[in-house]
Amino acid sequence: MAAFSLYPIGYSVYLSLHKEVLTDPLKNPFVGFQNFSNVLHSYYLVSSLVSTAAFMAMAVPGVMIFGLLSALLLNEAFAGARILRVAILLPWAMPAVVSGIVWRWLLNGDYGLLNSALYQLGIIHDYIPWLSQPALARVGLAVAHVWREGPLAAIFLLAGLQTISPDLYSAAAVDGAGRVAAFRRITVPLLRPTIVIVLIYETIVAATTFDLVYVMTGGGPADATSLISWFAYAEVFKFLDLGAGAALAFLIALVLLGVIVLYLRILRSEERR
Amino acid sequence: MTAYIGSRAFLRPAGLWAATAVMLLFILGPILWMLDSSFQGENELLTRPSHLIPQQPTVANFDYIFTGTVPQGLNVRGTLRSRISQEAREVPAALENSAIIALTVALVNVAFGALAAYTFARLKFRGKSLVFNFLLGTRLLPVIAVAIPYYAIVSALGLLDSYVGLILVYLTFSLPFTIWFLRDYIISLPIDIEEAAQIDGCGRLQLFLRIVLPLAAPGLAAAGAFAFMSSYNEFLFALLLTQTIGSQTLPVILSSVATNPDASLALIATSVVLAMVPPLIFAIVFQRFLTRGLVAALGKG
Repeated sequence: MAAFSLYPIGYSVYLSLHKEVLTDPLKNPFVGFQNFSNVLHSYYLVSSLVSTAAFMAMAVPGVMIFGLLSALLLNEAFAGARILRVAILLPWAMPAVVSGIVWRWLLNGDYGLLNSALYQLGIIHDYIPWLSQPALARVGLAVAHVWREGPLAAIFLLAGLQTISPDLYSAAAVDGAGRVAAFRRITVPLLRPTIVIVLIYETIVAATTFDLVYVMTGGGPADATSLISWFAYAEVFKFLDLGAGAALAFLIALVLLGVIVLYLRILRSEERR
Repeated sequence: MTAYIGSRAFLRPAGLWAATAVMLLFILGPILWMLDSSFQGENELLTRPSHLIPQQPTVANFDYIFTGTVPQGLNVRGTLRSRISQEAREVPAALENSAIIALTVALVNVAFGALAAYTFARLKFRGKSLVFNFLLGTRLLPVIAVAIPYYAIVSALGLLDSYVGLILVYLTFSLPFTIWFLRDYIISLPIDIEEAAQIDGCGRLQLFLRIVLPLAAPGLAAAGAFAFMSSYNEFLFALLLTQTIGSQTLPVILSSVATNPDASLALIATSVVLAMVPPLIFAIVFQRFLTRGLVAALGKG
């Protein structure tokens, strides 16, 4: 079991330090950090980092806000919550590929439902090719991502909400605390550990998004949605450069680790205050 | 459980229902539109504005996928539409592949995961945070990084394009999570019952089968559902490790149906609707267990 999960990582390290191009299979010399340096100097590095950052800047807060609002709603005692609890599982239960297909269709510039709805409501006078414009395509990709990933965040946060003892709220009510005060003083601090876990998990998921790009935009238009993991895929499966692909993957992991450490720092310094 | 919920209503009922309506529209709208579209003909789907209510509802799309009778709407568009046809017709077989693979992964996860988790939970075991960090750490690495090594291993074992190859890979991804999750779940169970049973002369194995398993059932259901979903939805490895419809899973077939530039909208919608059936069943059946299982696991987290 351990071998099956550790060996691939070791093999990846090996690949990243050797020249491994499938078009030239017999020459695999040790090249040190050459692959890393090549990746860092590649034509796509800056643009893909910008695309990934732009996508994450919308996708991660989107997922968190959607998750938090839905969790609060799901935690209420009314019939709607019971319907929502089943409904919200559906997007998450679908393959990301399905989310990509569905949203590509909804946002289509010729026959998409969003255009149709906006047109019939008189908000737009002409169909808009959402996915053909770089900025809009990024928003569209982020919306599709929130649609599929938000529900999982909601379920985790709901579980977090339900671990908070109702006695605390009763006690707060006895002490004359209002709803807002109870939310700020009880819900937020006690939910924080769950929020941190979900935030870290969703950051990783957003940063390594691949399936959605593959079916929804194919990286376009003009590389606007060519996220960094898309290039890791291209290095390996289009350019057949296994070494560069592995090196790029490790660089992504390194950056992610940095982001997560930053999160934890900020959260801890807030706790101290 | 109900005592927890709504101990403090945050919004007024009207606000709650309005928020629920918006949420349901966002969540279910896209799904319902696919369902709607799967009963429309190709020409109707291309009209502006779209028809929310099919003018000429038809089951021709489903008929095509299951029997191969070409829908009229597609004949009109000529031979260009022929490529999509082949791929869409593979949806039922892919559905079967996906179901077999995901169910096997879920069952193995529950069986092995429960045993391993019980051992971890009741044995003195330090370094829980280490395990958790390792789990998160392996997730940090984009799957592309380990894709090639896995390909090499599966290929060396002669398991390319087989159920077993995919199942093995999915197990390595899902088992660590299952064990971690179930361990926390089992720890949350009251130990008194087990101690009482032991005093009454109950052996370790009997204890596990008769006492722990029934108590941990919601957690097992949740872990099984997670394993099922993650295998059912996985795309990249399925794309790499399968080559023929003998083992290709649904996401692979769906992506080839949908990324074909000549794709027939009606058939895409119908394929998507068919792909949604198993997750739908799972969501409805396991909804209660998912949150309950998570509450218990997080409570001790």
